[in-house]
Amino acid sequence: MSEMVMNSLPVDYATETSGGFSFENATRNPMIMASKGAEYLPKLTKKTGTTICGMVYKGGVVLGADTRATSDTEVAEKNCEKIHYLAPNIYCCGAGTAADTEMITQMMASQLELLRMNTHSQSRVITACTLLKRRLFGYQGHISAALVLGGVDNINGPAVYNIAPHGSTAKLNYSTMGSGSLAAMSIFESDWKEDMSEEEAVQLVKRAIGAGIFNDLGSGSNCDICILRTDGTKDYRRNDVKPNEVAPLRALVNKSSLLSMVPGLTPTIGNPLIQPHPARVSLADVDVVMETVES
Amino acid sequence: MAALIGNDILDIGSRKARRQREDPMAPGFAFGAPGQFDIPNVADPAAYCRSNFASVCGTGDEDQSVKFMKGTTTLAFKFNGGVIVSVDSRSTMGAYISSGTVKKVIEINPFLLGTMAGGAADCSFWERNLGMECRLYELRNGRRISVAGASKLLANVMSSYRGYGLSMGTMIAGWDEKGPQLYYVDDDGTRLKGKIFSVGSGSTYAYGVLDNYYREDLTIEEAVDLGKRAIYHAAHRDAASGGINNLYHMTKDGFVKVHSIDVNDMHYQFAEERARAMQS
Amino acid sequence: MSILEYNGAAIIAMAGDGCVGIAADRRLGAQLHTIATDFTKCFRMAPKLYVGLGGLATDVQTLHQLLEFRMNLYTLKEEREMTPQVFSHLLSHLLYEKRFGPYFVEPVVCGLDEKGEPFLSGMDLIGAPVTAKDFVVTGTCTGNLFGMCESLYKPKMNPDELFECLAQSLLSSVDRDSVSGWGGIVHIITKDNVITRELKGRMD
Repeated sequence: MSEMVMNSLPVDYATETSGGFSFENATRNPMIMASKGAEYLPKLTKKTGTTICGMVYKGGVVLGADTRATSDTEVAEKNCEKIHYLAPNIYCCGAGTAADTEMITQMMASQLELLRMNTHSQSRVITACTLLKRRLFGYQGHISAALVLGGVDNINGPAVYNIAPHGSTAKLNYSTMGSGSLAAMSIFESDWKEDMSEEEAVQLVKRAIGAGIFNDLGSGSNCDICILRTDGTKDYRRNDVKPNEVAPLRALVNKSSLLSMVPGLTPTIGNPLIQPHPARVSLADVDVVMETVES
Repeated sequence: MAALIGNDILDIGSRKARRQREDPMAPGFAFGAPGQFDIPNVADPAAYCRSNFASVCGTGDEDQSVKFMKGTTTLAFKFNGGVIVSVDSRSTMGAYISSGTVKKVIEINPFLLGTMAGGAADCSFWERNLGMECRLYELRNGRRISVAGASKLLANVMSSYRGYGLSMGTMIAGWDEKGPQLYYVDDDGTRLKGKIFSVGSGSTYAYGVLDNYYREDLTIEEAVDLGKRAIYHAAHRDAASGGINNLYHMTKDGFVKVHSIDVNDMHYQFAEERARAMQS
Repeated sequence: MSILEYNGAAIIAMAGDGCVGIAADRRLGAQLHTIATDFTKCFRMAPKLYVGLGGLATDVQTLHQLLEFRMNLYTLKEEREMTPQVFSHLLSHLLYEKRFGPYFVEPVVCGLDEKGEPFLSGMDLIGAPVTAKDFVVTGTCTGNLFGMCESLYKPKMNPDELFECLAQSLLSSVDRDSVSGWGGIVHIITKDNVITRELKGRMD
């Protein structure tokens, strides 16, 4: 009996979820779309039309990413984070569908944390790689996450893995992904050398991401850098290079008095409705009266 | 043969398509001849035009790289005092409003008005062309062309380019020897004579108002008010209609432009009227 | 036409100085046909938390009810209010759970956190989060909305300035979008109250 309980999935009856994807709407959606005369557009989802890269140097690995997220041709976010945390010694750059890269890395981070608690040992980069590729392969490319995984562990030292959405992986000295991968790769192909210093490596990664930012329309804004060293230290530099700052430009525009909206300008209907915030109520403030049912 | 092309008044601008189909290398072939389209040099020019340059109503050009302006409410009705032509002024490309101040009544000449629905370019080009042909008719014959004749010229062009993806739903209103006249002409060559017409995505709403309040013996003031209200109700309910209501009255002395009123001002004016009516 | 554009919507959430605001249009349509001009797209989920749901109306309502349920459950279990950050994550995971059969809704979240600081976030229909310090938009005319917000937004606006900025951005945007508009509504959340104003917009 106890064994059965152990094996059954922990179902949360209140929210009716047992983990994993829900296909509740999967039959409904095509019917709705057929009845409304609209075709299904996968391009509705936000993409990280991206430049991401990673490389191995003498004392560890360096990861780099741009910060633009797009939906169709629109820039959906100008400063998003594409270098995701997996473990204290492992980070992962994500390209593809934004939700997929975000969620799969979050999920992986929690799995690795549980694994560390069970094994009382540091997470290995190869472990993260294997977990990721298994999951991606299982979904046969439907989870569109193209990843550059980088990290340092005590067993294998620094490593960069390239993980494609279908689940194939490659251990490489340098790797690029996303729509700007060709621009970034051209930099690595011409200037990557073995045993580069940290300063040289960071410079090279910045140039590679810069190539993506300026030459690929799907990539843009700032450059994030993450350095993971063999000595166990790390340096996550958010917005290390900011070549596309808009604040000064906007400050110039906002000087115009025409663009300052004077209070009372917009015509409204009726009087404003002002609702004060309710005083905080907790269960302690509520008298709970036992209800009696009369027969 | 070549000299005759375009001169036959019942065949304005339709010959090139036919001639090229017979012999693409025919002598006398000239690019950009007025009132005639150059036909693409492909096996099936009609199908090619239809699939690449169709400006059909609704959202039919979704996956076409060339998109056209459309989305309209236009209406016209005949009554004892003449013809009222009333239109909105919105032009949309997909959901985007590309203009809110389009002139959808085309003043062909003082006694002929055309309306614009469907492809803006198709309507304005061919109605301008019609204006030219009507003037030529006057010069040749010493009298104005009948509205029946003018609308037939336009319908003939539409028939000759049938299947090429032109998009036009127009009403030709005028006053000739027989009095006020109203015709409907569209891109598949339909030509109808009638008392009430409404064309465009908002036409159903306009018809609702027109059918309810139309009488033949409306006074001019009543007729103008009806034309205005029908456009307002269409503009309110139809997303692709709106902006300014342009209203024309065709009289025995030619057309008179009655007003241009912002549809939004009408909304609040009518709302006030209703509120007053409720009180009393 | 995309299914997200079937009913029409325009929603903006914007941060001010110690206050946030959310503005939405009022139209419910079926493609070009306007059905109602008093449709609600912004919902108050907690005293200082609003969510704006743009997209397919049926899913707007379903998702709102689902969120209401999850919020109530949380307040009962935790005996405290949900912060905007937590709410945003809840919504994101709720949407991603249906990755392969999504709700056709793109939400924006705005509110004041425990410290009274503005919080903004937006999501696509499968829950990819967008966090912003200034403004987030959703609906059928995001291009227009982004453009207006980019030019009218100023940092550190007071509640009155924030209202004007939101109202003008919304009204100008929907005047160039055929499937949204027909009036608007703006909620300004301050540390003491929520001020709701109805906008007089174009009715065509």
